[in-house]
Amino acid sequence: MGRASIWDELQRAWAITVKDMRIYYLRPASIMFGILFPLTLFLSFTVGRNMPPERLVPILAAQTVFWASSSIGPVAIPLERRLKTFDRYLSAPISLTSVLFGKILAGVIYGLAVSTLSLAVGIAIYGASKINIPIIMFSLALSSLGFSAFGIMFASIPWESPGEVMMPMNFVRIPLLFISGLFIPLENLPMLGQAVAFISPLTHTLDLLKLGLGSNSFFGIATNISMLILFTTLFIGMSTLFHRKTMKKE
Amino acid sequence: MTYGMTLGHDEIPHIDTFIYMSMLHSSNMGKAIIARGLTKYYGDLLAVDHISFDVEEGEFFGFLGPNGAGKTTTIRMLTGVSMPSEGSATIMGFDIVKQPVEAKGLMGIVPDISNVYEELTAWDNLIFTGKLYGVPKAKREERAAGLLRLFNLYERRGERIRGFSRGMKRKVCIAMALMNDSKVLFLDEPTSGLDVDSVLEIRRLVRELNRDGLTIFLTTHNLEEASQLCDRIAIINRGKIVAIDTPERLRHVMRGVQSVEVAFKAASKDVEEGLKALRGVSSLQKLGDKYRLYTDDPSTVLQEVFTYSKMVGLTPISINTLGPSLEDVFLKLTGREMEREIPRGPEMDGIRMGRRGGDG
Repeated sequence: MGRASIWDELQRAWAITVKDMRIYYLRPASIMFGILFPLTLFLSFTVGRNMPPERLVPILAAQTVFWASSSIGPVAIPLERRLKTFDRYLSAPISLTSVLFGKILAGVIYGLAVSTLSLAVGIAIYGASKINIPIIMFSLALSSLGFSAFGIMFASIPWESPGEVMMPMNFVRIPLLFISGLFIPLENLPMLGQAVAFISPLTHTLDLLKLGLGSNSFFGIATNISMLILFTTLFIGMSTLFHRKTMKKE
Repeated sequence: MTYGMTLGHDEIPHIDTFIYMSMLHSSNMGKAIIARGLTKYYGDLLAVDHISFDVEEGEFFGFLGPNGAGKTTTIRMLTGVSMPSEGSATIMGFDIVKQPVEAKGLMGIVPDISNVYEELTAWDNLIFTGKLYGVPKAKREERAAGLLRLFNLYERRGERIRGFSRGMKRKVCIAMALMNDSKVLFLDEPTSGLDVDSVLEIRRLVRELNRDGLTIFLTTHNLEEASQLCDRIAIINRGKIVAIDTPERLRHVMRGVQSVEVAFKAASKDVEEGLKALRGVSSLQKLGDKYRLYTDDPSTVLQEVFTYSKMVGLTPISINTLGPSLEDVFLKLTGREMEREIPRGPEMDGIRMGRRGGDG
């Protein structure tokens, strides 16, 4: 067997994605943190408050893509570590980058499916003044990639149960909801609040979705896209680093 | 390699590649595994200490040692799951750190626990493995069907692994390791914790695979298993290899460690002291209702035992002279006793460790 081509690597990564979709999408932890949790948060935030649809629908979509995409990796990887099935990837003729890409893609598809559905339901219930489908789909795709990588980064720390990953990750995920302009619009935040919001990837997802649903992007589309790409690269880099360190240590 | 069935053939490499590969590998022709100074630290703990060994192509190589000796760590380094702290290893000429994809493509791994996907069927597990190793669709389906037939699992291919017994899961795990038509098979404690039938069947299967030309690297703490299966055995203790040789030669080295084992119809507590004092007995071990008398002169001890039993009125119900077992070799080399498996019945004699032949 010779060196694997990029196409070979992509095919093997896709095999991991499909396998993860079959095994982990309907796991209780995936449904809990990927669907029920963002929905409950959204309802508790919006019910009884008279908010315009151009604010509600982007929040719903941003929240769901954030939670859903980042939940699959932290369910799959610790379980695979515990059952030693993760070792299968490490001993297979596939690069670590491709393994992580396959894992990330499983989160991306889950996030895209859940958020697209919630967006459609949101638009059907609340309505939307303007819909720019290319921008919406692009923002969901880019965001799901970033958030899935975010979940993989946490899952790359060698814990052996989803709970061990979800706990510290939620310590980051929940505060991000408060600093990303979901509950208080970015325009109403003080200067320091806006600076903090800028370094949250969720801010840029919300900003892009607002743009796609008839409002303006606070930081601008180019900044939003650049920041999401930057965060995605950082999360993938950190994931790879954590795995390599674990392989050296274990 | 066919493993008793048609599994297709490897593509013929381009002639330049072939010449290059030949040159590259000329110095290590016939070596399936080469380990040089392989070392692993866990923090300050030295788990594997600069071990070096070669495994020939087609060889059944045993890696023997007690729990915590460094067997699994070594296998993890050889298979690319863990990075060595120092040293190097090649699989069929490919460096596991520098050329991991090439090396991993030629090996199959059966870890110490059956790491199968329990939510998937046996068929899906094999197909997924085939995809992970880049086996083309038609070939992977043919191979999966062939392997499931070989392992008597074809009829249950559509069932989820969750409902399988331990032995069946183990067989699926071995079949998965063979999906890529591997040249080297790593087996980490493959029969540990299995029932007798599964142990015997797995041993038969791996023996057949080896007979068909597959190089096998087996780690075990079961001396009898290593003795029955392996061409050569390396004994590892506290991270260091203390001996590498054939099972017979290892026994031969220990020719001095012989014993006479005797059991009496009814023996008082004083018998132990009396036997220990016999001429030619260097030490005594009580094993259940038997007494094992270690000696370098079994014939003298035999005569002494008969004389003593007549003198004190004891009736011997069995007497055996025993040659050195691998356990003795292990004890002598490492100063540590091997873990014993719990006997599960008379047929386990061939499986549990420590059984010895009466070679006088």
